[in-house]
Amino acid sequence: MTEMLTLAKKEITELRRNRLLILLFGFLALAVILSVVVASADFRLKIADYHHYLDALKAAGSTATAPAPQLFPLQLLRGGMEYLEIIGSLFAVVLGTSMITKEKGRGTLALIFTRPLGRFAFAGGKILALSLVWAATVGALFLVIVASLLFVGNAPLQGSDYLRLALAGAHTTGYLIMWSLLAMTLTALARRAGTGLILALVLWLVVVLIIPQIGDTMDPDNQIPGGLFASLQVDKSHEQAVMAHFTGYETTRDLIEQTSVTKQYERATFAYLGIKNEYNQQPLASIWAGTFNNTLWLLAALATSVSTALLSGTKKTILRKAP
Amino acid sequence: MTATAISTTALTKRYGATQALNELSLSVPAGEIFGLLGHNGAGKTTIVTILTTLMEPSSGTAAISGHDIATAANQVRRTIGYLPENVQFYDNLTLVENLLFFAHLSGVHAPTGRIREVLGFLDFTGHDNQRMGTFSKGMRQRAGIAQAILHQPSVLFLDEPTSGLDPQGVAKLREIIISLNTQLGMTIFMNTHLLAEVTKTCTSIGILSAGTLIYQASMAATLESFPGQESLEDIYLHIEAGQRS
Repeated sequence: MTEMLTLAKKEITELRRNRLLILLFGFLALAVILSVVVASADFRLKIADYHHYLDALKAAGSTATAPAPQLFPLQLLRGGMEYLEIIGSLFAVVLGTSMITKEKGRGTLALIFTRPLGRFAFAGGKILALSLVWAATVGALFLVIVASLLFVGNAPLQGSDYLRLALAGAHTTGYLIMWSLLAMTLTALARRAGTGLILALVLWLVVVLIIPQIGDTMDPDNQIPGGLFASLQVDKSHEQAVMAHFTGYETTRDLIEQTSVTKQYERATFAYLGIKNEYNQQPLASIWAGTFNNTLWLLAALATSVSTALLSGTKKTILRKAP
Repeated sequence: MTATAISTTALTKRYGATQALNELSLSVPAGEIFGLLGHNGAGKTTIVTILTTLMEPSSGTAAISGHDIATAANQVRRTIGYLPENVQFYDNLTLVENLLFFAHLSGVHAPTGRIREVLGFLDFTGHDNQRMGTFSKGMRQRAGIAQAILHQPSVLFLDEPTSGLDPQGVAKLREIIISLNTQLGMTIFMNTHLLAEVTKTCTSIGILSAGTLIYQASMAATLESFPGQESLEDIYLHIEAGQRS
């Protein structure tokens, strides 16, 4: 355990001093924060517009009451969450790959493995470091997001909103750790660093972009901008009645989407943040019940990535594939 | 009776069809500075890699200070120090941070004091908080020795320790190696191509050819046994030529 902590501490110190990685993290943070700040500013303007409208009505002597706009602050995170889902996972791949390539490239493995380490200490230290780095990064990002919602958006957040944010943050942390560990595994198993990175990027491409894109393309409601049913002015109950005739098709589409852990992550986080209308303003228990499977799949993917990273990070495997 | 620091019995290593070590049996008594000589590809690095537990042999056994490399690998790792050829460190960390890292991994008690002691012994002070990315080859090599002896090993493996060093660096390293042996009592096993350095540093030598140990004797006996030869280089070439014919 002590060796694992020593290795993790060294990794974190190195990462803190790695300018390229700081630049990547900075870019990711900027993209997420800008997206939330812009959405928050827009939210604030809409609220202000509504109040101006009410004031104008009052000044005109009208007693009519205008319905308040349906604005949900957590929905403002959609862009930011998509950045974390796509760019964040890409950076996680780069980070995970670098964990192994830097040791293989430098030749420091010989100095580490001539020490009396436990079988899983090397990989365990790296897993611990990656977990702490992603937890701290996501934690800091979510704090800035909350501050943006409160102070830029003037958005009223309630107690349960913080819990929803925490749950989305926990899912995000797990999702990003998983990508880093998968990339770390592939790099450990590849003889050349470039091969590991290419394999990880191909996997990322398939899971993050291609499978969700296939699912989206197959979604009948996505065939027209703004939604097929909305443009035909078909309400929800009629939409469901229509779709009941295509259950086989929908099941296939759903199964395709479910093979992507990115989609599982998206479904869970979008539900907790109310970005998916079906779950907006729903009690947490009901969201939990509805997205339990998604969380479970994400957890299974995370557990798999931890196991493979541990197994591929043993001295025997790493040195066999070292240049 | 002198204890054996390093012993191998019928040690063999094959990479596919290539035989890197061929039933190598070797014994190095404790307290020696043993120089392993051989042409490129003779199997020198392979034997060091096996003895430092970084690679498993295809067959045969080896032990360091009585600890079997296969069944007591962690005990072997506590006993040895290793300086690889072209040693590399974490460039973003300072010298002390690098050494602290390796000291912790080796289970050194009171590592800060030990690092100060080792750096003092190596006459390598004033660079503690300098990042290692800025170090010259000679400085890296001394840092490499420092990381190898932090945990006070009884056997030290040096793989081409003078590779890439300037003459001053070579002389300084020679002085350090001899001090480690005479003052700290470490057994030293080194691979090198610089035969002049072997003559000045080693107390015994072995010659490896195509994975087979073709010669082993003390330095004094070697120099005496080949009176017609002027230098170790001549002796080495003579023995190698004899093996080929």
